[in-house]
Amino acid sequence: MATTYLDITNEVLRELNELPLTSANFASAIGLQQFVKDAINKSIFDIANEEPQLPFLSAGLSGATDPFYGNVTVATTAGTRWYLLKAGSSSLADDYGSVDWDDFYLTTINVSGETAPYVSKGLRFINLEDWKRYYRDSENEDDANGQAYGEPVRVIKSPDSRKFGLSPIPDKEYNVHFYAFNKPTKLTAYSDTIVFPEQYSNVITSRARYYVWQFKESPQQAAFALEDHKKAMRHMKSNLMNPTPRVMTDDRRYF
Amino acid sequence: MARSQPYTVACAGGLVKSANSIDLLRTPGVARELRNFEVSIEGGYRRINGYTKLGGASATRPTGSATQILGVIPYADGVIACAGTGIYFSQDGITWLQVNRLSAVSGDNYATFTGKALSARTGQGQCSFAVFENSYDYGEIIISDGANRPFSFRMEGTGALNTRTFFSSLITVDSTNSVKYVTVHDHHLIAAGVDNNDSTVYYSVNNDPDNFTGVGAGAITISDKIVGIRGFREDLIIFCENSLHKLININDSGTVAVVPVAENVGCLSGYSIQEIGGDLVFLAPDGLRTVAGTARIGDVELGTVSKAIQPLLNDIARNINDYTITSMVHRDKSQYRLFYSDLVGIKNGIIGTLRPNGFEWSEIRGIEVSAIGTAFNEVGIEEHYHGSTSGYVYVHDSGNSFDGSNILARFGTPDYDYGDLGTLKTLHYLKVSASAEGVVTPDIQVRFDYGSSDTPQPSSLFDLGTIDPPSLFGDAVFGTNIFGGAENPLIRIPLQGSGYSNNFTVISEDTKAPYTINGFYIDFIPSGRR
Repeated sequence: MATTYLDITNEVLRELNELPLTSANFASAIGLQQFVKDAINKSIFDIANEEPQLPFLSAGLSGATDPFYGNVTVATTAGTRWYLLKAGSSSLADDYGSVDWDDFYLTTINVSGETAPYVSKGLRFINLEDWKRYYRDSENEDDANGQAYGEPVRVIKSPDSRKFGLSPIPDKEYNVHFYAFNKPTKLTAYSDTIVFPEQYSNVITSRARYYVWQFKESPQQAAFALEDHKKAMRHMKSNLMNPTPRVMTDDRRYF
Repeated sequence: MARSQPYTVACAGGLVKSANSIDLLRTPGVARELRNFEVSIEGGYRRINGYTKLGGASATRPTGSATQILGVIPYADGVIACAGTGIYFSQDGITWLQVNRLSAVSGDNYATFTGKALSARTGQGQCSFAVFENSYDYGEIIISDGANRPFSFRMEGTGALNTRTFFSSLITVDSTNSVKYVTVHDHHLIAAGVDNNDSTVYYSVNNDPDNFTGVGAGAITISDKIVGIRGFREDLIIFCENSLHKLININDSGTVAVVPVAENVGCLSGYSIQEIGGDLVFLAPDGLRTVAGTARIGDVELGTVSKAIQPLLNDIARNINDYTITSMVHRDKSQYRLFYSDLVGIKNGIIGTLRPNGFEWSEIRGIEVSAIGTAFNEVGIEEHYHGSTSGYVYVHDSGNSFDGSNILARFGTPDYDYGDLGTLKTLHYLKVSASAEGVVTPDIQVRFDYGSSDTPQPSSLFDLGTIDPPSLFGDAVFGTNIFGGAENPLIRIPLQGSGYSNNFTVISEDTKAPYTINGFYIDFIPSGRR
């Protein structure tokens, strides 16, 4: 069963020997209890800010709608350079929390009307400065003069961080796959569930304790709690995010 | 957790209603609520005993119906109760003998006495008793009721009731006028509250309570209405509505006189007057006062002893005409008990326990007392009885229930700031020093910051667990006592919550045995000054 906002708040309250909340008085919590509720949200945001690409923040299951790598798919349109990272999003506040810019993939597979041989390749990320310096002018001229578009090979990030751009401007419809991560949602109701696996709830509670002990003016306890948090965060990242092992070979003996 | 700190409180001082919340921070041992607890003479606060019907499950009413008991007093090997138009005697609370009959001067045997016609005590009111011990088996008891002439009754013989001799008569104090108050002073029967002579105090012939006309008898009229009389050392204190006087030299007709004691202090009820600890305690408009003898002969000192519970006394004084006032002294416990009841809904009382520093107070709720009496029985054991509108006579201060009903007892401490009201404290645990007289299971309520709604408050009570009575070597009985019960166990209760101050309330509502709360040890963690 998923850990609820009430569960994790009470876990912290009990650790501090404070009165736990109930589903009935959760919404009307006051004083320290409300502070702990706030600290839980603050802790979750801190964790997401520190590591926005934690797997449980993923915007979707990888390959759920397409066999290709990525959990978000955007279809391009001939002659359009910029695309919203999150379709339908109206502001940065609703956008993805993080996007893996190193993993954009372009393909015509599964595009209506396309047949073999298909286009299927990764897009190289270049920063906006390089793109402006080496590609923008020529691509804009091609676009303005003869609508001479091409097969994209690069991906760029818009200055407002809301869109990705393709270079060259696509000459037809492609599917662009990439990996995105949601922002954590602020918890409000007592039954709201924590996206963290239960195993890692102590990453949140230790961070919350860090704030509460500061509130209680106990820097020593706050330092202990912060140390607990760092350790728990390190373990969580190690378990969930570290790259798979690679083989290192020392071949000097062949010399 | 951060470094915790200790705080120890010894329960002492009793109920305090007349101090503000900041004052109470400096007196952590007192109680802001002490309901159905009493201050123990050994220290600490003890849940009171209950009361049980005289006669137990077989008890009967003197009149046979729910007639208010107007007076009750232990007498001989039984109890006398006044109700309706009768006066009754019972040895067991099961069988009642109506004694308001007029015997021959030389007395009647049982058959003759019970065959005599009843002398109805028509309009009988709240009764007053006086006992002339003399050399009689049980003494002569005089009963006045404010509606009839005083009734004298005595019983001779120690065998079965039907082998005894009964003496009874009506005493003429002033023609056929009724008498409200009687007392014994310096071998005289004193009568006051005489119909049409409210300001006159009458005294009988020396050692002859039935004679108010012979040599040595007399009457003195004063300027105020008499509401109570009581002998105090060599003087008779006369309590009036607005003044106090003393009658001196009662045995010297040449110098007998009434001397004013106080012109601005009166007494609200003659039924509140009791002698305890060398003082006369009475209910005055500004609280309970004492008439204390001083070192100087002929002088007295008046002092208020109930300042700690002044709001309670103010309430009684405001509604004195609605209340039936009764009082008693519990000598074993050095207690003065005053009950006030409107005989409808309010059934309250106060207990003052005389301790080295004076009276310490507590409250009684839920005991309706329309009459109460205490005396030593024929073997010298103090007995206490009370009556109510139910018509039964009860053994007062007995048993673990209010005649089968739960006793709701609450002892609330003042808020503790642990020395600094500005520092937030997280409670860690509490140790309660308690002594149980049986298996008891009280609970503890914790309230932070004076019960502020801006501070989260524990929604439920903290369980004090089961406190077993002590099993002491030499006293414990195999198969009866519980192994391991300590005499004064310290019960540890984990607590939760934080606040700038907090209080504790010990609560029990059951028919279990009494217990005494001696004190608390609180372990708390200072948690900042934000």
